Amino acid sequence: MEALANLLRPLRAPLGAIALTLGLGFLLVAAINDQPVAAFRELLFANFDSLGNFALFLNRATPIALIALGVVFAFRAGFFNAGGEGQLYLGAMAATLTALALPGLPGFLLLPLTVLAGIAAGAAWGWIPAVLKVRLEVDEVVTTLMLNFVALLITSYIVNHVIRDTTTYGAISLMIPQSIWLPPMPGVPAASSAFLAALVLALVAWVVLFRTEWGAEIRAAGTNLRFADAVGIPAKQRVVGAMLVSGGFGGLAGALYVLGIGHRFEQNFSPSYGLVALTVALLARIHPIGALATALFYAMLLNGAAYMQIMTDVPRSLVNLITGLLVFLMTARLRPAARG
Amino acid sequence: MSSLLGSVLEQTAPILLAALAAMVTLRANILNIAVEGMMLTAAFTAIAVGDATGSASLAFLAAIVASIGVSMLLAMVTLVFGADFIVAGLGLNLLAAGGTLFLLEMVYQNPGGLRPFTFPDIWHVPDDSLSFLPIIGKAIEGQSIVVLLAALAVPATFFFLYRTPTGSYLRAAGENEHAAQSAGIHVGRMKALAVAISGLLAGVAGAGLSMDRLHFFLPDMTSGRGFIGLAATLFGAGLPFGTAAASLVFGFFGALGDRLQVFSVPSQFVLMIPYVAAILALVFAKWRKRVQSRPASVVEASS
Repeated sequence: MEALANLLRPLRAPLGAIALTLGLGFLLVAAINDQPVAAFRELLFANFDSLGNFALFLNRATPIALIALGVVFAFRAGFFNAGGEGQLYLGAMAATLTALALPGLPGFLLLPLTVLAGIAAGAAWGWIPAVLKVRLEVDEVVTTLMLNFVALLITSYIVNHVIRDTTTYGAISLMIPQSIWLPPMPGVPAASSAFLAALVLALVAWVVLFRTEWGAEIRAAGTNLRFADAVGIPAKQRVVGAMLVSGGFGGLAGALYVLGIGHRFEQNFSPSYGLVALTVALLARIHPIGALATALFYAMLLNGAAYMQIMTDVPRSLVNLITGLLVFLMTARLRPAARG
Repeated sequence: MSSLLGSVLEQTAPILLAALAAMVTLRANILNIAVEGMMLTAAFTAIAVGDATGSASLAFLAAIVASIGVSMLLAMVTLVFGADFIVAGLGLNLLAAGGTLFLLEMVYQNPGGLRPFTFPDIWHVPDDSLSFLPIIGKAIEGQSIVVLLAALAVPATFFFLYRTPTGSYLRAAGENEHAAQSAGIHVGRMKALAVAISGLLAGVAGAGLSMDRLHFFLPDMTSGRGFIGLAATLFGAGLPFGTAAASLVFGFFGALGDRLQVFSVPSQFVLMIPYVAAILALVFAKWRKRVQSRPASVVEASS
């Protein structure tokens, strides 16, 4: 029972954020549309109107949740990982390249290989700023932001010049072999089972962070690096380790997107999932379970906004507006202990 | 030659202004990633007001006012309500992107952008007015007032930071908050001033982006220039002329990238240069500092 209460406690912060978002959103909708209740019904519940809508919702939630879990790890180690977008893109690219390079391999070998390639690429991209930070105290916000642009340009080059599908329009790669497409979610045929991975990994992340020595050391390094170092915790190694995990989550999100949803690399497949996931992790007060819940809520809003626009002509960009407003307002109370 | 130089100047101007905006706040020890959002707000306001009033100067002014307003919002949540600068900056960028798109859809019923049929032109250097200067004259002719303002902003920020009392207070507040505090400097006020100045410079940059030549607004039209500006500042070690030189280099590569695209040379690697350069510059600066372990710090972005 106590364990359950412990699991539910982190949901309080995201629930507060959600309530605030909904309140703000309702005021805005009421100001521009005379049917705010109908508009809100679309925004919140159209996701559950049909199995198809529900599948889209789960598919949207998966990358956000996975990247957010990674951000939580980094943040707990005192590392502001603004590089989720770059890690996502490189993970997706590495998975695609692996799948395209070894088409002859049987699926049961190729599938884990592509996933691992994605994780490795994301982790490598997270390793660079981590090492620069612990060795030379180079500010990680700058490096991760800059590395995002570098990753986007690298993948843009590869998809345009190396693996481009020349028979179609747009910068998209060739299809990956069908043998390694992820099976659909049981009961929801159009959804990728990648969501189950996010679900399980959220629990794993919670256990690792709060119930293992390694996790405790990460949190100690994040609370006070010098103190942790002084009491004998290999704090710098833990920061690098947390960033490997964090980048790995981003890479995994990319790989699972390619395997489960896109089945190929598309140049603009992410509507800044990295940035959304960062705000999700922050709004969830840097907690894995909270991050999962907030990611679900965000995915619901992002998809629901489209249904709302169709039904009531309230523009879907309303959601972006509310998101910005919310992050802005929430930050006034939220100070990541780790910075500065 | 002149035409390449001309397009270099044109590409450099918004980057330079964004870089100086980031530089002033960096000197007050604030990593300002909200420059992008400020520029976007200014770019939108310029077109919206120009479309409504038909006056270029009103549009320009309104853009700057809007950008300063956004910067004051940032100053308020961070300095008064103690929000983290990075997180608030991210929120502000989201807010600017979402807000402009929302207005496009609500007011102009067109999420694709805002393209007025007619739009008042801002002042450009008249043709043949500088023909007595070889090469450079031709490159400057036809440039807008934004380019000239960008060039002027370099000595202006230098003068402000190093030759005025307020400027040295601002730098002192950035270098050592507690020492500055005990010396009687209002650290919060100095930081707010730095943020306001960055709003002003970002406003000019954003107005230039939409008003100079293009005369329309597209969602996300800043496309990372705020971040390239930040990169230029870091590459230039937070010094006005260093920042200007870095911006010029990035502007050059930007113009070169455009030309190379014509010859179907992959532009991605050219476009990567500012970001990689900024990371290398930071690494080099920190490495040198560690090797020499000099007590006087140049610029510290995070501590």
